[in-house]
Amino acid sequence: MDSLTIIREFLDSRLEIAPERVLPEAKLDDLDVDSLMLAEIMFEFEDRFNLTLRRNLKSPRTVGELVALMDRLRSEQG
Amino acid sequence: MTRRRVAVTGLGLVSPYGGDPADFFARLLAGESAIRFLRTDDVPRPLAMPFVSCAGFSADAMLGRALAGTLDRFAQLGVAAAFAAWDDAGFPRKEAVPDRESWGVAWGTALGGTLAYEKGYRDLWQRGRERLSPLSLIQGLNNAANAHISIQFGLGGVSMTHTVACASSAIAIGEAFRRVRSGEAPVMVSGGSDAPQAYAVARAWEALRVLASGDENTAPQSCRPFSVDRSGLVLGEGGAALVLEDWEHAVARGARIHGEMLGYGTSCDHSHLVRPEAAGQVRALEAALADAGLTSGDIDYINAHGTATAEGDPVEVAALRAVFGERAARLPVSATKSMHGHQLGAAGAVEAIVTVLALREQALPPTAHLADLDPACAGVDHVVTARRGQTLRAALSNSFAFGGSNAVLAFRAVA
Repeated sequence: MDSLTIIREFLDSRLEIAPERVLPEAKLDDLDVDSLMLAEIMFEFEDRFNLTLRRNLKSPRTVGELVALMDRLRSEQG
Repeated sequence: MTRRRVAVTGLGLVSPYGGDPADFFARLLAGESAIRFLRTDDVPRPLAMPFVSCAGFSADAMLGRALAGTLDRFAQLGVAAAFAAWDDAGFPRKEAVPDRESWGVAWGTALGGTLAYEKGYRDLWQRGRERLSPLSLIQGLNNAANAHISIQFGLGGVSMTHTVACASSAIAIGEAFRRVRSGEAPVMVSGGSDAPQAYAVARAWEALRVLASGDENTAPQSCRPFSVDRSGLVLGEGGAALVLEDWEHAVARGARIHGEMLGYGTSCDHSHLVRPEAAGQVRALEAALADAGLTSGDIDYINAHGTATAEGDPVEVAALRAVFGERAARLPVSATKSMHGHQLGAAGAVEAIVTVLALREQALPPTAHLADLDPACAGVDHVVTARRGQTLRAALSNSFAFGGSNAVLAFRAVA
């Protein structure tokens, strides 16, 4: 499953955010994704793909940046 | 210091009977037990005991999925009860008004976020997972309920949780009452919540040999306070909240006043962790009467702590006999835990609501299943069937906790 779909499903199930709002250019702040929920999303990827996220990762600000970060980690560690 | 009068303007519940306080009270008057037999699928040994569940409670529906997902069940029950009390008091959920910077929350829980941590242990040790969700810590915080209530209602004053075993929420209500009476806070949300179905918690209670015995057939009648054949208490989950408000503030906005809170007394037995002593309970009862400006002759009902343990019930009756003297024999007393079970840290708030509703409705709920009184518990007027059409002026609600911590709340009917 591609990273954007995973993020959309996660935000739909946890925050009831309609998938059509989860666009690459959407800001995480505008979707009410705070730092805690961002950590939960990253945990979802760690858990699902057995990734290890470095502690000092730069926090993504948009859905697109989050997708790019997860795609990169999946390709590096997958 | 000028003492402000304290009105009870909001009542909220998440109970096994549902969330409507009037319906909850009607079920108690009808003697309807919410106790059922719980059997879990835990291996190698399931939990199998009489228990009280809020089976109809949907955290997603009450709180919204986003909020519900960040809370342990104890906090879900608590925030939902606070929502109900807040709505009942007629306050909008969240307003950026400066007034609310002094309004606060005093909450009670005995166990806090135990379920969240138990899930973590299961994930790590039982399922062999290497990591926990980042939310685990947030969900496990014992002050999660009071913090979320403050956030949801925009309350900028004191926000704290008291954890005093089975007296937790009675003490929380008492401390909230003092802040309103002193003028420090015109409005306080107070109450408690607990979810004691964590496996290790329930097994620990079982080990103490104070839980009522019962099976699928007998569970509803398994909690029999003051009865000669009582076998112990029944654990239950739940949340209960009251809005305490400066009387003039309540009148000025035309709020419905359910009752008046008059006093609060607390004490410690200072003798034993789990063996209660009448002398300590007497001090709490007398302190509550003195704080309320009442005498024993003013009290027309006692909602007893009455857990149905072998040791606790006679001690409580002895304390009532000592305080009420000759009048004790005519003093109506009931233990509604016989029907709604023991919600631990929420029990004091659940029973404070029962007491306020008894005064409001001028009706006394019974101690259910009390057919054969233990002679050691004699000497008060045990209410064994509902009494309606009473003349009830003031009432006390007792909470006597492990640790020897005692709390008594005093309420008065509104004319």
